[in-house]
Amino acid sequence: MEDHSKEKQHIVSYKENFGTWLGLMLLTALTVAVSVANASLITLTVVTALVIATTKAILVAYYFMHLKFDHKLYRIMLLIITLLFSSFMLLTIVDYLSR
Amino acid sequence: MSESLSTDLNFFQVKKGIISWLFSLDHKRIGLMYLYAIISFFLVGVTLGLLMRLELIAPGETIMKAKTYNQTFTLHGVIMIFLFIIPSIPAIFGNFFLPIMLGTDDVALPKLNLLSWWLYVIGALFALSTLVFGDGPADTGWTFYAPYSVQTNTNVTMSVMAAFILGFSSILTGLNFIVTIHRLRAPGMGWFQMPLFAWSLYATSWIQLLATPIIGITLLMIVAERAFGVGLFDPAIGGDPILYQHLFWIYSHPAVYIMALPAMGIISEIIPTFAKRSIFGYKAIAYSSMAIAFVGYFVWGHHMFTSGMSGSARIIFSVLTFMVAIPTAIKVFNWVATMYKGSIDLQPPMLYAMAFIFQFMIGGLTGLVLAALAADIHLHDTYFVVGHFHYVMFGGTGFAMFGGMHYWFPKIWGRMYNIKIAKFAFALLVLGFNMLYFPMLILGLMGMPRRYYDYLPQFTDLNVLSTVGSWILAIGLITMLVNLINGMRKGAPAGRNPWGSISLEWQTKSPPPLENFDKQPELNEGGPYNYKN
Repeated sequence: MEDHSKEKQHIVSYKENFGTWLGLMLLTALTVAVSVANASLITLTVVTALVIATTKAILVAYYFMHLKFDHKLYRIMLLIITLLFSSFMLLTIVDYLSR
Repeated sequence: MSESLSTDLNFFQVKKGIISWLFSLDHKRIGLMYLYAIISFFLVGVTLGLLMRLELIAPGETIMKAKTYNQTFTLHGVIMIFLFIIPSIPAIFGNFFLPIMLGTDDVALPKLNLLSWWLYVIGALFALSTLVFGDGPADTGWTFYAPYSVQTNTNVTMSVMAAFILGFSSILTGLNFIVTIHRLRAPGMGWFQMPLFAWSLYATSWIQLLATPIIGITLLMIVAERAFGVGLFDPAIGGDPILYQHLFWIYSHPAVYIMALPAMGIISEIIPTFAKRSIFGYKAIAYSSMAIAFVGYFVWGHHMFTSGMSGSARIIFSVLTFMVAIPTAIKVFNWVATMYKGSIDLQPPMLYAMAFIFQFMIGGLTGLVLAALAADIHLHDTYFVVGHFHYVMFGGTGFAMFGGMHYWFPKIWGRMYNIKIAKFAFALLVLGFNMLYFPMLILGLMGMPRRYYDYLPQFTDLNVLSTVGSWILAIGLITMLVNLINGMRKGAPAGRNPWGSISLEWQTKSPPPLENFDKQPELNEGGPYNYKN
């Protein structure tokens, strides 16, 4: 059986953790600001909120969930899952838009 | 694993008593607990199926009313899909044999494994409770299509909660297998030294992990719609019923491959053993498992060709559906090529494997007929679909599971069943199965719709033939199970390797010791199928 006890563990510094947290807070503030400023432009607000939410999810996955410091395989897995999910959305939307 | 764990006790003998089973962390015991539970539910499902066939022996009301018939086929579907065929091969043989085939002592997360089994039991209790509470079992069909599932007074909420809980069991099993395959392979066992059954479980596990949450949330939406009238799927309050069908089939079509891929894994184990030949195209079979899992995600729309989906979407899904036939055909060609010029020994497991190929081909090719847009307009919601589905699921996966039961039986119990009776039961099963389901393909082409307790007089003869087939099938099943139970109790000792296989599970004792191997097993040079021929 393989011995996994010798694998490297990356310790994330306080600086990196705090920086990520600060980034997440700024993006949250940006979401609120855009929704208030562009209240009449519903589509733009939704698109902006989704883009910001995706960015925040990537930040959490990369830093808080250690994806950045882990084996490349896990990033590939996440990419495949993201593509899969996007495909579900795309194929369903094709039906809706062309019905 | 310690270097030497020599003990004469096998995993049955290490601990005694019902509690030692119910809370066991041993993957082999958990696998057997799944076996006993799954076979029990299978027999309930078979009984419901026999009752349905009896109702259909003649036009008009025979033994049950229309509503009872609707509830019977729904419960038959829910039990057979969620309690039998989805968990069957991964939960039973995957649990029992995956760690042994990888040369390790257990799955990576044994406590999670036990939790999966308990979730399975709780989900099963939810499903069966619909029989005794309220207005009885759901009458929607196992697909719970909205808006009817939102409106009917039968026990839809309990039924979908059962499916929701069973989904969690499935997800946890898939997660466990992925971690086990990544982390616990024996030293020296690379990805392409893994048995093909492990490859098929790996592909299956990804589907379980990624697709099952979608059905979970969709079923919760049904509950929310029934309880609060949210307006998701019911057009009367602004919802879209086709959205439900999209969400349902995004899971439920990949789920067909949760059912089929492990069966293909069993066939890939049986054929080289009984043909005494190296498997033809190992990598092609391994990659095709992953390809089926991947392409299988994108074909769900073929269930919705007549549901009001757009023309563009229908064309896209039709093309994608034809594509999934390619990796499936690769497997079939490789199995046949493996048998070509082999020293074929027609033992019961091999007979089941050959029946699998024959019946699965009929199931697969009738699937291509349904994938064609024009043909599907005529055949959708007819008995052709019922025949096609049962050829894939029962004629394919069911027969592969029976093959697996006969193949690994001597390893699990250390005893052998009666070979002659096993072959006789096999003959009855093949005859009964084809008599039961082939007439359905013809009935469907003639235009007989499915899911009705009544039919027009011109369909009578083929329905009688089908019902008689169901009786032969039932006799075959009873013969097979009695023979296996007798073999379990008083069969002759089988030894370590009665079939002369070279894969890893046959190196250890029968039944295996608690930690599977007395010492670290030696991998076969040249891979798990390196026969001399």
